[in-house]
Amino acid sequence: MLKDLFIPNARPHRSVFLTMVGGQVLLLLLLWLFYPLQLFPTLGEVLGSFKELVTSQGLIQELWASLTTALGALAIATVLALAISYLTALPFFRPIAYAASKMRYLTLTGLTFFMALMVSNGHQVKLSVLVFGATVYLVTGMTSVILTTTQEEMDHARTLGMSEWRSFYEVVVLGKLDEMLEVVRQNFAIIWTMITLVETLYQSEGGIGLLLYKQNRYLHLAGVVAIQLVILATGALQDYTFEFLRRLFFPYSDLTTAK
Amino acid sequence: MADHSYKDSILALRDVSMQFKGEVVLRDISLDVRDVVRPGVSQGQVVGFYGRSGIGKSVLCRIIAGLLPPSTGTVQVGTPARPVCPGDVGFVQQRYPLFDHRTLLDNLLVAAERKHAPAEAKARAEDYLARFDLAPHRRKYPAMLSGGQRQRAAIAQQLLCSEHLIILDEPFSGLDIAMIDEVKKIIMEVTLLDELNTVVIVSHDLATTTALADTLWLLAPERDAAGQCLPGATVNKKHQYNLAEMGLAWQPGIQAKPEFVQLIEHLKDEIRHS
Repeated sequence: MLKDLFIPNARPHRSVFLTMVGGQVLLLLLLWLFYPLQLFPTLGEVLGSFKELVTSQGLIQELWASLTTALGALAIATVLALAISYLTALPFFRPIAYAASKMRYLTLTGLTFFMALMVSNGHQVKLSVLVFGATVYLVTGMTSVILTTTQEEMDHARTLGMSEWRSFYEVVVLGKLDEMLEVVRQNFAIIWTMITLVETLYQSEGGIGLLLYKQNRYLHLAGVVAIQLVILATGALQDYTFEFLRRLFFPYSDLTTAK
Repeated sequence: MADHSYKDSILALRDVSMQFKGEVVLRDISLDVRDVVRPGVSQGQVVGFYGRSGIGKSVLCRIIAGLLPPSTGTVQVGTPARPVCPGDVGFVQQRYPLFDHRTLLDNLLVAAERKHAPAEAKARAEDYLARFDLAPHRRKYPAMLSGGQRQRAAIAQQLLCSEHLIILDEPFSGLDIAMIDEVKKIIMEVTLLDELNTVVIVSHDLATTTALADTLWLLAPERDAAGQCLPGATVNKKHQYNLAEMGLAWQPGIQAKPEFVQLIEHLKDEIRHS
């Protein structure tokens, strides 16, 4: 039973696997509890700091503000990236997708400066930077998915008498929607990286990024760790939600995956 | 001579050549498939299509299916004859592609709705599900089907929206003997559905395919008077076999006949030396 945990591609019993995960988490907590270096805050300090952040600094409200901004940006970026990626079917639009993909190398600080000149208020700057940043990453992932389309797949649709647009819709749009959702899930993390930076630059609206910045600034390491763990947990929950949505809407998606 | 006659043209290739970046792949191919009529029997046509690996069979199939325009020449289908368009000829590729995001029933419906109104399409899809023994699997996704079920589904999907021509690329490849019998049964069923139905079988399984066919094509390079290979493969007159005329078509147990065995040996020699 236990030896299954060390055999490549083995499928250990669920209870064995859960026990192993529980053991690993416990080991991590014990290491943390008895960690000899004072540089890293103790578990008690982090828990205390978390309580203080929730009760007196509005951690939940700040998290909610950041989360809604992030989700709004992701929704807009997803629509934009899908449109740009699908338009690569037309040769005219391919340079746009190529350029959009390469723009992920632009630095965030330079970008916020230009955005600030273009839009009217702090929230708009924040949102537009996030949308821009997420879009360029999403376009990269989505065009990669589109490029996996094979001649056989397109020929199959054409032999059924479908026009080029209908074939594209059937094979690329409908056929790869589950993979597009996976691209969105994978790239949602980049929004969290950006939002903490952007909220630091535009402090008027608060957000968990600003909270993190303040904890950093005053060397409240326990607070920093507590906020990072909250972000980590939120991200894990997001991942789980996306996985759930994928299984719900695209039940065929995992059928060919090696178990 | 067999008791049969020929009527309308179903498929006609005239001087078809194909080049890719200056390299001649196919050269001057002219072929015909006509409706073969046997008194008292309503049966379509079966063409066996042979050739060495990589010689251009798939390219010719794509040209016949209207998926690839030839560099020169024409492909005409139907009665009256018209230039082939994608969708006129069904093409079941080697890995039996289906839409993985649709259930089996949806896969058939999406094909049937290309040709028929929704109610009619539904009835036809249901009919094919029953006919091809797929009805219990209607709600399954393609990834949940066995190889044989997937193949039957792919053939049914193409039949639902193509006219009368269907190309099967390597339908016997990798199948056990029971599955081969099943595929043979399906092919016979397809030809029995309509007098004009024509199945082109691209295969390396000479015995199985020849036993089903009434016509054979062998794609091979030609040699000039000096014995040098000419660029591009073709199906010359010598390599177009009318099995009906040869008395080797539509006979149960044909594989045991000495003439049949001789023909298979001859085909093997021709392929080896091509």
